[in-house]
Amino acid sequence: MRNTVNTTPENIKKAFMVPGLPHLALDFPGGNGAWKDLKEACRKAGEDARAADPDVIVIYSSQWISVLGHSFQADPNPKGVHVDENWYDMGDFEFNFKVDIDLAAKAERHAREKGLATKMVNYEGFPIDTGTLVVLKHFNPENKIPVMIVSSNIYCGKEDSYTLGQAVGEALKESGKKAVVINCSSLSHRFFTEDIDPAQDKLASETDDQWNRQMLELIKAGRNQEAFEKGEEYAKSAGPEMMFKGFYWLMGVLNTPQTPGSVLAYGPVWGTGNAVIEYSLN
Amino acid sequence: MAGNGRILAGFLAPHPPHLVYGENPPQNKPRSQGGWEPLRWAYEKVREKIKILQPDVIIVHSPHWQTIVGHHFLGVPKLSGLSVDPIFPHLFQYKFGLDVDVELADACIEEAKAEGLIAKKMTNPKFRVDYGTITSLHMMNPDWDIPVLGISANNSPYYFSHDFAQDQMIKLGRATQRAIEKTGRRAVLAASNTLSHLHFDREPEIPEDMSKEHVMTHEQYLWDMKVIDLMRRGELDELMEILPEFMEKAFAEVRAGSLVWMLAAMGFPKIPAELHGYGTVIGTGNAVMEWDLVKRDLDEIRSQEGIVCATP
Repeated sequence: MRNTVNTTPENIKKAFMVPGLPHLALDFPGGNGAWKDLKEACRKAGEDARAADPDVIVIYSSQWISVLGHSFQADPNPKGVHVDENWYDMGDFEFNFKVDIDLAAKAERHAREKGLATKMVNYEGFPIDTGTLVVLKHFNPENKIPVMIVSSNIYCGKEDSYTLGQAVGEALKESGKKAVVINCSSLSHRFFTEDIDPAQDKLASETDDQWNRQMLELIKAGRNQEAFEKGEEYAKSAGPEMMFKGFYWLMGVLNTPQTPGSVLAYGPVWGTGNAVIEYSLN
Repeated sequence: MAGNGRILAGFLAPHPPHLVYGENPPQNKPRSQGGWEPLRWAYEKVREKIKILQPDVIIVHSPHWQTIVGHHFLGVPKLSGLSVDPIFPHLFQYKFGLDVDVELADACIEEAKAEGLIAKKMTNPKFRVDYGTITSLHMMNPDWDIPVLGISANNSPYYFSHDFAQDQMIKLGRATQRAIEKTGRRAVLAASNTLSHLHFDREPEIPEDMSKEHVMTHEQYLWDMKVIDLMRRGELDELMEILPEFMEKAFAEVRAGSLVWMLAAMGFPKIPAELHGYGTVIGTGNAVMEWDLVKRDLDEIRSQEGIVCATP
C-alpha cells in the first residue's frame, strides 16, 4: 500500500516533472509562444533546483527506453555528442557530465532486492537520450552536480514503476545526500505528424488537453494519490509519454506526498502536452 | 545509365544485434562464443548472392530509426562513428563507416513528395546511425564496399489505422522504385524486420547460451510459419490480408512498414521467396528471405521464348 502522508525522505529537497523535448533546449526558428514559456519555466526550475544546493540530481527519463529490466547509468563520466533522431537539424547536444555511481549502485541493489530486473550500464559511446540532455541543459548547465539516471522499462507496469521509485528513494535515504529528483516526461504524447508553424502550435486533441488539465489540477491541489489512481484511465485516454510511468516512479521516490505541485508552465510542443511542475518538499 | 535502373533483389533482413555479436567481426567490441548460427549462416547465402549481383547500392528501411514527421533519408556522403545499441549495449558496440548514395536519396525524396508524402534529407554529419540499419547491412555485406541508403520508419503505423499506415509504405515503395529507375541504379533492397516480436525481458548469463533460446510462444511460432509460408508460395495478396492480424497477435515488427515498403517497391512480385533461414533471438522470430527479381525476369524471358530449363 502507498502511504498517503508525506514521508518523503528529508534529504530530497525538490522534485520536478519536465518535458524532454529538444525544442525546449535548442534553438528552433519561430519557437516563441508556448515553447518560449515552457523553456523559460525549465530555466526557472533549473535555477530553483540549484538554489537547493543538491549533492545529486536524480533523473528518470522516459526517452531512455530499456527492455532487459531497469537500467542505471554507471559510466562515471559520459561524454560525447548526441544528435536527436527526429530533430537532427535543430543542433547537437555536446555533453560531458559526472554520474554518482555509488548512488546508482545503491539504487540498483535496492531495486534488485525488491525483485526487479536491473542492469548497470557502463559503455563508451552509450547513447545518452535527448530527454536527459534537455534536463541537464536546464538543471545542470555547468555539469557541476553529479547525476543519477535511470531508464524507463518498456515492459514495466504501474506497480513496478512505483517500486523502482521506492528503491531510488531508499537509496537516497541511505546515502544521506541532498537530492533533487526529476521525472523527465511529457504529458499527452500525440505529435502532429506534419510540419507545423511553431507559432501556431496547439494540443493535438481537445481530449488530450482536457485530460492533461484535469491531472494538473489534482497535482496542484496536492492530490497526488488521486492522480496516481487515475493514471491508467489517463494513459488510455490521452497517451501520456510512456503511459505515465515517470509519474508513478516519482511518487515511489517521494512516497506519494500531499505536497502540491506548482505548475510553472503548461503548453504544446508539436501537438504534445507538456508541463513544468515543481514540488518543494523539505 | 540514368533511366535504366532496376531492383535486382529484395531481402527480408532482420536486425537483432545478437547476430553481429555472435559473429565476432572486428568492428564490434564485445566478444562471444558464437550463437544463432542458423540465422548467421542464412546471411552467408545473402552475402554470396550480393557478391554475384554486384549492386550499385543497398537500400535499407529500418524500424530503429523512428521519425515523427515524414520519411527521412540519410543524406550525408560519409557517416562514421560508434553505434552502441541502447537496449543491448553489452552485445553491440560497433564502429561503422558507410558511404551513402546521396544522389539516390535526393531522387527518393523527390519521388516521395510526388506521391504526396512528407520526405526529408538527414544532413547532420554527427548523426549516429541506428543499430537496425547497421546490423542488417553488416549481415548482408560486412565488407561495406557498396554504397548504402538508409530510410527511417515513419511512426504513422502507431498513430493511424493499419490501412493508412500501409498505404504510406506502398507510396514510399513506389517512390523508391521510380527513384532507382530514374537514377539508373542497380539496387538491392533490405527490409530490416523481425517477424514475431514479443521477447523475453531477461537474458541468460551467457547471452549466446542456445540452450535457453526458443520462440516466446507457440502461437507466435505458428504465426511466423503462416507468414513465411505465404511468402514462400508468392501469395502476397493473402499475406497483405493477414498482416494486420499478424501485427496484432504476434506484435510483429513488420508493423514498422519495412516489409510492405520493399514489396511495394518490387511491385508485389508473386514469385516464391526463398527462405534462407529462420531462428529465434531472445524469443523473437526472424527469417532471412530473398526475392530474386533477376531470376524472375530470366524465367519470364525463357518462358516467352519457350526455352525449357534443364536445371536439376
